[in-house]
Amino acid sequence: MADIEIEIDGNVVKAKAGEMLIAVTDREGISVPRFCYHKKLSIAANCRMCLVDVEGAPKPQPACSTPINEGMKVHTQNEKAKASQKAVMEFLLINHPLDCPICDQGGECELQDVAMSYGSDVSRFTEGKRVVTDSDIGALIHTDMTRCIHCTRCVRFGSEIGGIMEMGGTGRGEDLKIEPFLKEGITSELSGNMIDVCPVGALTSKPFRYELRTWQMHSVANIARHDLVGSNIFTQTYKGKVKRIVARDNDGVNETWISDRDRFSYEGLAHENRLLKPQIKVDGQWKAVEWDKALEFAVRGLVNNALNADGGNKLGALASNTATLEEFHLLQKMLREVGSENMDYRLNVKDLDNVIDLESTIKLAVLEEVEYSLIIGSNLRLEQPMINHRLRKAVLAGASIDVINAMSFDFNYRTNSENIVAPDRTVVILAEVLKSILERSGAEIPEYLSTIKVDDVAKCIADKLLASNNSVIILGEHAINNPQAASIAKLIREIAQQTGAATLNVSATSNSIAAEMANFVPGQGGLNANAMLAADLSAYILLEVYPQYDFHDFVQAIESLDNKNTFVISMNSFKDKEVARYSDVMLPIASFYETSGSHINIEGVMQSFAAAVSAPSESKPAWKVLKVLADLLELPGFHYASSEQITSEISNQSHQYKVDDKAINITTKRGVSVIWQKSPYAIDVLSRHATALQVTKIGQMHSASMNKATAKKEEVKEGGQYLGVPVIITEKVADNCVFVNANQSTGGRA
Amino acid sequence: MISNKAKKQIDDWVAKYPTGRQSSAVMEALKIVQAENGNSLSAESIQAVANYLEMPSIAAAEVATFYENYNHKPVGKHTIRICHNISCMLNGADDLVSYLEKKLGVRTGQVTKDGLLNVKKVECLGACVGAPMFQIGDTYYENLTEKKIDDIVDNLK
Ligand code: SF4
Ligand code: FES
Ligand code: FES
Repeated sequence: MADIEIEIDGNVVKAKAGEMLIAVTDREGISVPRFCYHKKLSIAANCRMCLVDVEGAPKPQPACSTPINEGMKVHTQNEKAKASQKAVMEFLLINHPLDCPICDQGGECELQDVAMSYGSDVSRFTEGKRVVTDSDIGALIHTDMTRCIHCTRCVRFGSEIGGIMEMGGTGRGEDLKIEPFLKEGITSELSGNMIDVCPVGALTSKPFRYELRTWQMHSVANIARHDLVGSNIFTQTYKGKVKRIVARDNDGVNETWISDRDRFSYEGLAHENRLLKPQIKVDGQWKAVEWDKALEFAVRGLVNNALNADGGNKLGALASNTATLEEFHLLQKMLREVGSENMDYRLNVKDLDNVIDLESTIKLAVLEEVEYSLIIGSNLRLEQPMINHRLRKAVLAGASIDVINAMSFDFNYRTNSENIVAPDRTVVILAEVLKSILERSGAEIPEYLSTIKVDDVAKCIADKLLASNNSVIILGEHAINNPQAASIAKLIREIAQQTGAATLNVSATSNSIAAEMANFVPGQGGLNANAMLAADLSAYILLEVYPQYDFHDFVQAIESLDNKNTFVISMNSFKDKEVARYSDVMLPIASFYETSGSHINIEGVMQSFAAAVSAPSESKPAWKVLKVLADLLELPGFHYASSEQITSEISNQSHQYKVDDKAINITTKRGVSVIWQKSPYAIDVLSRHATALQVTKIGQMHSASMNKATAKKEEVKEGGQYLGVPVIITEKVADNCVFVNANQSTGGRA
Repeated sequence: MISNKAKKQIDDWVAKYPTGRQSSAVMEALKIVQAENGNSLSAESIQAVANYLEMPSIAAAEVATFYENYNHKPVGKHTIRICHNISCMLNGADDLVSYLEKKLGVRTGQVTKDGLLNVKKVECLGACVGAPMFQIGDTYYENLTEKKIDDIVDNLK
């Protein structure tokens, strides 16, 4: 890339023509002060802090907006540069309060840092300073707008990255004010990044306000596990508590951004609802006991109830998709050692003989280069914010997007055609698309497509898939309980094969891919989650399961677990009354950031992390608990000293996607279908306990949406209840279809 | 919120810009809607303009609050836009502002009881040769004195 040479401070530097000067100095490690420039945002050049001296130019030039030329001679440190930087600094401080000790940004403030090096130690400004009234912009970001230096990074973040311009500069000159419209507040799912980009203390984290100074905390590199990306973060801790989470740069994964869910979920760690002591149930009464007692009790229960009589056959294990790779591995190893193949993490799937089998074949960084994407069954923006962000970049670069969804969602980019159809239509549209593609290539039309008539929508999708060299088909979570889930996945595989399109399977989130990698699925003769619950097992090991939230049919699940003859060992990080009802032992385990382990993201990249803090009170990392349980059961091969040993054991194991060979089925069903989706901020137990997240607009999503006609059919009214959730009547939903966004599951209807 | 007549006028302006760039018409649209609403813009009308032009409300608000031509509080039938920038200030604009305030019994920014007049201080209107000056409607009045002000203002209906 080095095609020209310029001279900076007397040193010759190679760079690319047209690059901005600041990009070159940054790469070379030459420090140029700046406020408005941000490498991931457009150039505003409004703060003038980055002035440098360019030979031949009459006046100092802003490094952030001066493109370089062959032979350019730049001085960043000479008299002229220094004098201009100092003068700008003085201007910036005219209206900025000089009260760093009471500002929450103190110690991590770019203005403070730059003022230390470029500012003067006394202010010559004796007039009154400007004061700006604050607006309450929501539960996540605290504003202190008197401190704002109008760099407009937050404004540009909104319009360029967040995809909705929420902050803006109103007024002019001295009255310029950065604020949202009508004090509406900020609603973006990426809003917390504004805190990171704001160079001063104008925008700070509300939950973290006045907690600590940055230098008091340890920053531990970590991985967020709330979605399929595994965003890189720093967990900042103080005295064994996670106090804040900030983004960590990783261009291949999350660039410099993280979602609000990743940033603010940590609040749940300190919730009073944590399970802190091992407990055993004796004569129907819960009793707190020491760990060794509880484990002994657990093992005795397992042996007496299941292992002695039936070997492993009557033992089952269910785990939440938030478990770490190592936890999945240990649990499956333990079960297989005692002869059980009954294990599953797919708790929210109604029909486990009809599942989505689709590989993800595209890298996140490539996603932003696609020319065309077909999104099926996903509210991508709220469900997988960072994946959506990549796709948004593609759209800004000209990509076209088609959507097949049951409800019209608010994408933060332009979509080409939005097909809002009831779930049973999805398979038909895809079949039409495939047929149209096959017809054009002159290939033989398989029997199951013979009766299909290709309509214009499908033809148009087929056209685009065929025309594009770089396209991706994205299949989302709403499809998991589609009566034709398996056929949908299969058709997508066919279409991808015919057109060379990549596929992206975002239908199972969090650490689901790790569960698959660890083989935490029933093997030969094993029972899946639903089969287990129907089979009257005599013992269970449940890892981080919260039935009312996790099972698609929690009523039936609880009923089957709450059985006198079933011995249930529950490992949970939070208390839960249903868990207490059916369990015989409750073992307190570490939550996110309290345990080491690994997350596997959508690219199949394993990202391991260390514990940032130790688990509170008596709770322990689940991998340790599982290891000790295995030891007590006298199973071989569980002598791990660290979770890394488990990780390396798994790395040597390969996972095969099992391709199911059932025929594609395109018959459609009539009647109202319900799609149930956990609210975006309620997908796991930690985010459910994060108080600030819960009061945001996204956190409050709790509704059953349907159109007028469907409401009439189902005999409900706006504001009434449907499956225990308030009804919203909107024509955004396809006919004959109810879209439920709720924390709790709906009890089997979806 | 926006009358059909106003929508038509806005559409004419939108047509002057390339397709997809309808937000370029925001200044004219705000002016049109302001004229329809007693010569001032409420937050709701700004939002209505933004929605009509498919742009973020805050972006329309940025424009509406940047320019002096838009009012955000009720105004009188006539607005006396009096310049208080350097040339006019050196020629006694500040005294004339006080004179006007006293004469009309209102401060700048307030509307007279009969709803006829309000006074707004503005920056240089490019008529420095005739400083001090003010503007009412489209007319500039230059080389103002207290006497001249009386003549002009007393004749406003
Ligand atoms: S609030 Fe912060 S990021 Fe936004 S313009 Fe002001 S200083 Fe810049
Ligand atoms: S960083 Fe260059 S002008 Fe602000
Ligand atoms: S200063 Fe008043 S018109 Fe120029």
